[in-house]
Amino acid sequence: MATVEQQFEWHSGKNRSAGVPDAIEFIDVYKSFGSNKVLQGLNMGLPEGMISMILGPSGTGKSVCIKHIVGLLYPDSGDVVVHGQSVPSLSDAELFEFRRQFGVLFQDGALFGSLNLYDNVAFPLRQHTEKGEEEIAEIVNRRLREVGLGDAGQKMPNELSGGMRKRAGFARALVLDPQIVLFDEPDSGLDPVRTALLCELIKEIHAENGGTYVVITHDIMSARRVAEYIAVLWRGRIVEAGLAQDLFDSENPFVKQFLSGESAGPLGME
Amino acid sequence: MVRSVAERAYLPARNLLEEIGDMMILTGRTIVSALRPPYPYGGEFVSQFLFVLKLCWFPLLISTLAICYAAPGLQAANFLTLFGALDRLGGIFILAAVREIGPAVTAVVLAGVAGTAITADLGARKIREELDALQVLGVDPVKNLVVPRFLALMVATGLFNVYAILFGIFGGLAAELVNHQPLGPFWTTFFENADTTDLWGSVVKCTVYGAIIAIICCYKGMTASGGAEGVGRAVNQAVVLAFLAVFAFNYVFTQMLLATHPEILVIK
Repeated sequence: MATVEQQFEWHSGKNRSAGVPDAIEFIDVYKSFGSNKVLQGLNMGLPEGMISMILGPSGTGKSVCIKHIVGLLYPDSGDVVVHGQSVPSLSDAELFEFRRQFGVLFQDGALFGSLNLYDNVAFPLRQHTEKGEEEIAEIVNRRLREVGLGDAGQKMPNELSGGMRKRAGFARALVLDPQIVLFDEPDSGLDPVRTALLCELIKEIHAENGGTYVVITHDIMSARRVAEYIAVLWRGRIVEAGLAQDLFDSENPFVKQFLSGESAGPLGME
Repeated sequence: MVRSVAERAYLPARNLLEEIGDMMILTGRTIVSALRPPYPYGGEFVSQFLFVLKLCWFPLLISTLAICYAAPGLQAANFLTLFGALDRLGGIFILAAVREIGPAVTAVVLAGVAGTAITADLGARKIREELDALQVLGVDPVKNLVVPRFLALMVATGLFNVYAILFGIFGGLAAELVNHQPLGPFWTTFFENADTTDLWGSVVKCTVYGAIIAIICCYKGMTASGGAEGVGRAVNQAVVLAFLAVFAFNYVFTQMLLATHPEILVIK
């Protein structure tokens, strides 16, 4: 049984500032599921207006972070602050209102199976705005064209490939012009070419619309392509965080091993 | 040894109690969400109600007809023939079909047919993260998914109970005819023993069965985890728990009804 010191031997917790205020902050967050301790005193800030990546091995709590940001999970202790607002202290009604500033792309797109693609993308507009059907059609078609699905509006989710479902989920995530867009492993289940194309799409749309993007992945190639800011998460804590180039140049043995994909280093099969 | 057995028993018992607590909370949230405006669930309520009707009308017809013909019909008729009192079969059918078998078969069929479909549907949505997506898009899954299913199952079980009672009585009539008896005495003893309390008690009980089934099946669907296998497990647990809860509630309700309405204890 490893001691706490051994467990967090490589966690320098070094946080190189990105020079802008944080849009999202995790303050000493602990979260367990039964005996499984997922987040163990997580302190992390994700800067405003940048594409940030939370990188880390599988099962290290990356998706749990996203769920904390949007209030789908609450920390056992600690706080999650978004634009100065403490998420766990929001009431249910406040939380539903608060979530309007987010767009979330779930792992498999999470499209509603009973609605076609057009209606899936139109759903947030119909739910939250007073826009007429003509205006909705204009926005939905523009978003579908942006993600390369201009002709697929009438298709049902089960008629789409994994990549198309992700792009459709991306269109739905963007349709309310959210200030923060969260991506839960956008590259999972995609071949390398489609992963590269999706990464390009994320960069293009961020350049066009701005906002804070947070991407969760364990794919280093995606990180190299997209990330402006990187936080490396392992065993529920930040190993190191900073601007992408600083992290790729890091001398921390764990960060070095993970970002270069080497087998030799602190990270084993455990 | 004792400690290990205690530990093995403690965890499942604690989990079960936690689940029951969560279901109570879900029931409270569902009732509050159903009553508090806005009411966006009208369309979903109608579609769920029609879905339950479409799925259940035929299995329920066959089940009630067959069980009432066989159990209180043929079996009780054999027994009553010993005493030359086959006309009493009508009275037995108030006890059997109206008070117990009608509601019980309705609950079993609705839990098995509609309840499992609800768990599978919500479970699959949970696994595909559709429920998380709904919440992130500012849609309350309790108000938009649980409330319409809760109301649809309550209304459907209440109405189906009357339907089950009718077909149950047909089973009794068939048993009389098989025994070459006229139907007049059957109806006489039937209406002599019938009381409005029997009918409203049966409908109220069955409506609550619908609420119990809806909450258990929605809860199990919305908390499914572990992929397709997890959905299968959730469906299995939902149907078992629904049966247990319905039969436990039946005991409590029957005791209360008999205690508060002693006149229905008297067999005429």
